[in-house]
Amino acid sequence: MNISGGAKDSQDFELNLASIIDCFTVLIAFMLASTAFISIGILDAGVAAAGATAADNSAPPPINISLELGKDKGISLKVTGKTTSNQSIVAKDGAWNMTEMTDKLQALHQQWPTVNAITLTADNSIEYKDVVLTMENVRKTIPVVLLGGF
Amino acid sequence: MKKALFKSKRPNEEMALQITSMADIFTILLVFLLKSYTTSAMTINPSAGVQLPNAQIGEANIDALKIEVSDSGVQIEGKSIATLTHFEFDKQDLQPNGSSLSLNGALEKERKRQVLIAQSNTDVKVDSKIIVVADQHVPYQTLKTVLASAALQGYTDFKLAVVRGE
Repeated sequence: MNISGGAKDSQDFELNLASIIDCFTVLIAFMLASTAFISIGILDAGVAAAGATAADNSAPPPINISLELGKDKGISLKVTGKTTSNQSIVAKDGAWNMTEMTDKLQALHQQWPTVNAITLTADNSIEYKDVVLTMENVRKTIPVVLLGGF
Repeated sequence: MKKALFKSKRPNEEMALQITSMADIFTILLVFLLKSYTTSAMTINPSAGVQLPNAQIGEANIDALKIEVSDSGVQIEGKSIATLTHFEFDKQDLQPNGSSLSLNGALEKERKRQVLIAQSNTDVKVDSKIIVVADQHVPYQTLKTVLASAALQGYTDFKLAVVRGE
């Protein structure tokens, strides 16, 4: 007695791979065309212009910290308020000395932990990529960076 | 024997393609592409020639008014607003307060449009966010002009578009 019932009832079949590959080719072509291979992120910046609304905390900060990027890749760090200082960070090997800047900001942040914003300005000729680089480094210590100078 | 050797080297005209392994490759490719396919709300397509700066920051999905600054001009939502010459605004376009006349006009129009939408639809709020898509070589002078124009129209929450680093 034949249980399988012959060729008609056989459950063995061959998958038609050629048509599946056709579908895959179209899908892959579509995805290759629509996929973005660079990932774009967002860097937050506020405005430090006159008349702009202050941050959420109503109490004024004990000190105001401002950074200014100079033409010669030097950074000027100014502190006003309960304490006043003006420090210059000179370029290191012809590049911005971000390590020293971060160290100085960390020292200030340890002394004044409630300060959570900094104003960043730059010389007119400074390129946007340098501003972004500075913002990226400042945000490691102080989360809010406000762009100023206008 | 020599004859037989030549005979065996002749290519087989009936070559069968290994479709099973090809399907395997295509499946892996498809899975990889599906993994890297992003369906985020944020759609930023910088114009050709615009090189965004790099930064090591986290992912963020924000949708707001986009302003693009390139070597030759400023665009708002893909519409050309001001012409730049080597990243610099035309002197006649600059205002004493540091903003740009043409940018002020375009941003004011966008602001009015947002306010009108917000008035007719309570779910929509007037947004102070603006996404700045600027070339990495833009001087701070030009950036200041763009930011000053935006700030004058109430766009004070700047979101700088950057290429996310490793």
